[in-house]
Amino acid sequence: MSDYSLVKLNYIRLKEKRGFMNYNLVKANLNLYAVLKNLEDLTIHDKEMKELINSWDLSIQFIVRNGPKAFIEFKKGGCIVGQGRYKSPSIILYFFSPLHLNKMFDGTASPIPLKGLSKIRFLTKEFPKLTDRLSYYLKPENELLKNNDYLKLNTIMLMNTAAFALPEIANLDSTGRIIASHMPEGIIEMKILPDFHSVNITFGSGRISARKGKAIKPSAVMAMKNVQVANAFLNGKTDPFTAIAAGDVVIKGIIPMLDAISLMLDRIPEYIS
Amino acid sequence: MKIFNYKKSHALFKKAAEIIPCGIYGHYNPSPLVPAAAYPFYTASAKGSHFRDIDGNEFIDYMCGYGPMVTGYGNPKVEAAAAKQSKMGNCVTGAPAVMVELAEYMTDLISCADWAFFAKNGGDVTNYAVMIARAATGRNKILMVSGGYHGVSPWMQGEGHHGVISEDKKNVITVNWNDTAGFEKTVSENRGEIACFISTPYHHPTFCDNEYPAGGYWQQIEAVCRKEGIVIITDDIRAGFRLDLRGSNEYFGYKSDLICFCKAIANGHPISALAGKKELMNAASKVFYTGSYWFSAVPMAAALANLKEMKKINAPAIMLEQGKKLLDGMVSIASSYGYDLKVTGAPSMPYLRITNDPSLMLHQEWCAECTKRGAYFTSHHNWFISAVHTDKDLKKTWNIVDDAFKVIKKKFGNEF
Repeated sequence: MSDYSLVKLNYIRLKEKRGFMNYNLVKANLNLYAVLKNLEDLTIHDKEMKELINSWDLSIQFIVRNGPKAFIEFKKGGCIVGQGRYKSPSIILYFFSPLHLNKMFDGTASPIPLKGLSKIRFLTKEFPKLTDRLSYYLKPENELLKNNDYLKLNTIMLMNTAAFALPEIANLDSTGRIIASHMPEGIIEMKILPDFHSVNITFGSGRISARKGKAIKPSAVMAMKNVQVANAFLNGKTDPFTAIAAGDVVIKGIIPMLDAISLMLDRIPEYIS
Repeated sequence: MKIFNYKKSHALFKKAAEIIPCGIYGHYNPSPLVPAAAYPFYTASAKGSHFRDIDGNEFIDYMCGYGPMVTGYGNPKVEAAAAKQSKMGNCVTGAPAVMVELAEYMTDLISCADWAFFAKNGGDVTNYAVMIARAATGRNKILMVSGGYHGVSPWMQGEGHHGVISEDKKNVITVNWNDTAGFEKTVSENRGEIACFISTPYHHPTFCDNEYPAGGYWQQIEAVCRKEGIVIITDDIRAGFRLDLRGSNEYFGYKSDLICFCKAIANGHPISALAGKKELMNAASKVFYTGSYWFSAVPMAAALANLKEMKKINAPAIMLEQGKKLLDGMVSIASSYGYDLKVTGAPSMPYLRITNDPSLMLHQEWCAECTKRGAYFTSHHNWFISAVHTDKDLKKTWNIVDDAFKVIKKKFGNEF
């Protein structure tokens, strides 16, 4: 993070402290709906993690008072992260506030287990192996990015995080809401060539939703030339205008939609880095 | 038909990207050109209605430098006046005499102008106009049309854009184009607080169809503004001198209090102008507003020569006529391939869109194919026709258009 990024972040926190912003609520939604979602791809692409969850058959419900609700289901070697309530979860983790959840994500607080006390060992010994691995992939050092496998998974996670963060930024961030209010309806497809990874985001009738995979008839497309380009682009190491002009990122369709999501994506680092 | 390549342009861009933000910034940034690879980035030379890029490709220019070129690149009369003034002096201590001559000419030419003020860019004068309106009325709020573009000062940009803070937009309220009921409601809700209504004479945003004023629109707006003491600012930066030399408000039958000009005024020499009614001259005098190069004489001499030339040849009539001829031909060619090429806005600065594909991707492909064959078409912005686009240019353009439609028909078949 550059010195100016830190100055900006501190100012945002100051505004939050003074009650001007929903900083912690936005951050909690991003943590639960965008960051945690990456467990799905982690358990697909990281061999060790795939083996780790292979025998797990349980579900975890996250409940944040005055905040988001999400669940993780581990079943038959697969992992699904979803929003809302899970029917009869094995474990319920309760948080007093969005700030409480965010502190857990920062490693400075613990959740309140409301259900699944018999699975304390799982929560304290097994599950952290998975979340630690997730943190490892989401906080890339330049040295780590030289490893192609690491680069690929980090890139997939960056793209997923971007896609699933967009609805939260558009709905909860004050600036994001203004930007989203001018957004035309339609589907945006973001993809990494050649056919490496895709996500799509639908903007329609006041509802915004993100999905993994290609869109059938997108209104706008942003295609990144390869994984290296995508990683630099999504990590904010290249500016979009230059990347597009240089042909590293190709855009087409309703360009104002891409302009708008670009502005919204630029809001994410103000909450999660 | 020869297909252009842009090796030198794109290589130079890579170098530029290392030392210039975005490589090429602002409205010349290639990112809205879809795909960027189909477009040249750097110009080597220009003459008449054509320009040549640094790879040696020659284009019929339908962007005219995004508007400034109106009587032809390198127009001999304009350039002679500029060269003559340059010999006499450009940026010199003391205002140039030609400034008074230009102001006199403009106050004769522009119907609502009792005075004229000169700056460099469009945004200089739209911002100045708003400051004058605030000074004159003692009110804070600026009323503008949603999606309208008036420059790059923070109050003119969208909230959420980098470098723009919510306080910048605090006194800016928007109404929808052609919505007179919404306009009246907004004025009523902000009675006594609105200093000005700033608007282009017709709605010409990017990426969507341009819209003329509905019948009676401007007359109703004018009536409300007169009743409520709201200053009418016409942003004629883009349309100015391409519809009516007296100001585009005349074309649409209303009176402006202040009118902003730039682009076409000096055929590419850097100058903008604000002209206004005598009732606002005192307020204009009180607002302190200036810039290092706002007294440079060469652009003033060029503007004077260009305005005279436009008047002599009746440039708007030529541009409207040539534009209509060009567009009628293109629409007909499109139709022969089963495509609906929709034209909106003035024929002298038309916005085009192939309606068969609402995502614009088909239109973007077609514009790119035309550009690669020598007719410089953008897909996101209205085009500009000049007074020197010849019938020969039009004929060549139609051939290019036909070839490009052939290519996209082959590529997409009957998908659209």
